Amino acid sequence: MEKLLNKNSFDSLITGLKKQGYKTIAPKKDNKLVTLEEIQDANEISLDHVITNNSIKEFFFPKTEKILSYTIEKNKVEMEEPEGFAVKSVIFGSRPCDAFSLPVMDKVFNWDCSDKFWVERREAITIVTVACDKCDSYCFCTSVGLAPDAKQGSDVLLTKISNDEYLVETVTEKGENLVKELESVFSDPPSGTPDRQVATVEKKFEIDKVKPWLDDNFQHNVWDEFSYKCIGCGACTFVCPTCHCFDIVDECTMTKGDRVKNWDGCQFTMFTMHTSGHNPRSTQGMRWRQRIMHKFKYYVEKFDSTLCVGCGRCSRVCPADMNISEMLEIIATEENQPVSKE
Amino acid sequence: MIEELRKKAEELLRSDTVKVVFGYGEGSTPERTRPVFITKPEDVNKLTWNKYCVYNLTTYLKRQETRKLGKPAIIVKGCDAKTIIVLLKECQIKREDVYVLGVTCDGVGEPLATKCKACDVNTPRIYDDLVGEKIENKEIPFDERYAELDEYEKLSEKEKWDFWQKQFAKCIKCYACSSICPLCFCDRCIVDKNQPQWIDPSAHPRGNLSWNVTRAYHLAGRCINCEECQRVCPVDIPLNLLNKKLAKETEKNFKYRSGYNIDDELAMSTYKEEDNQDFFK
Amino acid sequence: MSETKFEPKIIAFLCNWCTYAGADLAGTGRKEYQANVRIIKLPCTGGIDPLFLIKAFERGADGILVSGCHPGDCHYNSGNYHARRRWNVFRPLLEFCGINPERIQFSWISAAEGGKWVETINGVVDAVRALGPFEGYQKLNTMGPDISGEAATSGETG
Repeated sequence: MEKLLNKNSFDSLITGLKKQGYKTIAPKKDNKLVTLEEIQDANEISLDHVITNNSIKEFFFPKTEKILSYTIEKNKVEMEEPEGFAVKSVIFGSRPCDAFSLPVMDKVFNWDCSDKFWVERREAITIVTVACDKCDSYCFCTSVGLAPDAKQGSDVLLTKISNDEYLVETVTEKGENLVKELESVFSDPPSGTPDRQVATVEKKFEIDKVKPWLDDNFQHNVWDEFSYKCIGCGACTFVCPTCHCFDIVDECTMTKGDRVKNWDGCQFTMFTMHTSGHNPRSTQGMRWRQRIMHKFKYYVEKFDSTLCVGCGRCSRVCPADMNISEMLEIIATEENQPVSKE
Repeated sequence: MIEELRKKAEELLRSDTVKVVFGYGEGSTPERTRPVFITKPEDVNKLTWNKYCVYNLTTYLKRQETRKLGKPAIIVKGCDAKTIIVLLKECQIKREDVYVLGVTCDGVGEPLATKCKACDVNTPRIYDDLVGEKIENKEIPFDERYAELDEYEKLSEKEKWDFWQKQFAKCIKCYACSSICPLCFCDRCIVDKNQPQWIDPSAHPRGNLSWNVTRAYHLAGRCINCEECQRVCPVDIPLNLLNKKLAKETEKNFKYRSGYNIDDELAMSTYKEEDNQDFFK
Repeated sequence: MSETKFEPKIIAFLCNWCTYAGADLAGTGRKEYQANVRIIKLPCTGGIDPLFLIKAFERGADGILVSGCHPGDCHYNSGNYHARRRWNVFRPLLEFCGINPERIQFSWISAAEGGKWVETINGVVDAVRALGPFEGYQKLNTMGPDISGEAATSGETG
């Protein structure tokens, strides 16, 4: 189904969503960052940015989340599972790369057991994506098989066709239902072929060349050499829409407590530290290698999909300017392949 | 200046005075630089110097990976050089194990970094060799140095609480602030200790407050105001305000400024009998 | 429950040699003071990490007293001097974050000053009672898992 959405109708869109019982999450500008967060009013929405600071993942897999609470009494332990975490919402104005991270992560969250926190939220949340009309030098979605107007993962895709107008295309049944629910907000699509304003994202490397190289080069000097500047802060993993490692801790007193799931990241020394004190990934080079290998080799082998959507957030936030696409370029460009010095 | 820097680096590497030069190189965009580690004299052309050289490279003195490269020459601005003084005082490095290659600097960042606005260390206070025209270090009055804090100190108790709660709510507990800090050098940070768990690892408001207050406090009388914590924060928390507040209190109460004089006793490991005790009953 | 009067929960971190003995003296002297205080005895004020205070607030304290030997009287010679330096910066830090400094008080009380102990602790309790429950901090618990324990009930009255 195709429709047209005018910027002037944002107001009635947000009010309409509220009336239908949706919570709205949209990009909002605060100081210098644009962040996806809950909004109440259409004029809070900002769509001039390249990409939001936070990724979409925190609405499905929050940075911290209670998964169980318990009380301990004499000869008795009572457990209670949280409820009501999946709230009917619309994420308005996510980017195609972010939206694509969802089907990629569905694979791991539904793998040997299905993660109800993820699954129920996936059902409750509808994704309305706005195709990118601009990009920056960190974007590399086209190199990992996506596009700035890719539809995978979105329920509805909006593409800018003039300064005030967006072409609305429904992608899934869920998206179609949403558009139907709010029919009055949309108008009929323009006749003819509209002029879609979509960014041109430069292709930086051939993704097909990455895995074969990784298969052969678990031991290679480039891992260490590239990561001397890495300070191991893990910011890359936290802003990444597809990094999904977590840690489970109990926050408790003697008699009651909560089991909490928190984001964790492979770039931390402590991530692999054994109780004995031995650390199998003892250097930053090894930890950097793990990040690349997981995204471009292990995940591909296990789930037949690259665990990277080319959003470039990791490179933008990196305090030491480690640049993931640069690393992949090094790997994928044959003449550029580093020679191991023995 | 770049040429002079490269020449100096080349000399140091050729003469085997140092094994590696920690410096700035070109970054992934023209508005960025990145740390580079030059081990071969023929690679010195990778070194650069411009207004985007905001990093405090001394943080690599604490990382085992870069320590393994051998004796370093490290390029420091005046502010970064203060770290060297603290690291020496705190016995983290030996003077002879580091070659300090100072550069004079009249401000970095675009727009100008806040740390540069009341800079009184344009020329480093410690170095083995200096590159660039020497700039007379200004004396800046106390109030001006901490002017940034005024608007926050003026807030009411509730406004302060609300302001910081809003800031800390953004925290994602990536600990980039402590990873980048050249003075956060504990092998195992308090947050990584869980017997007992002093600070909740969860990024909820309680855990975030404990973490951010503790991080700042552990730098009391030590922070040299390089603002790296604030720069690297991926969610843009104005962390340096906390550090600056502590520096202000340290200076006000103990007349101590971290990283300025190598002969001063460290503020928090000494005391004076006449220290302030107004608030003691 | 909703009608119960607010009784502040005060945690006192005391040094073993002076203030704890002072509080003990108040007891043996049968002096009465308000029962809102829970005492935690430590070897020396110099060994009190500011994290102890944060933890106390996390677990539902409305106010805190830190007390040790008078300057010059430290059993370990300089522990209280070092502590004093610490509190000189930690207290303004908390104030800067929006915590009322009245909620964290400090005193020097010797083993002979049972009377001063009574006076001080009554003063702290009254001051904190006037401020009311530390709702701001206790609310942080409701946003994360509640670890304030059984004792948290006193906080619910506010």
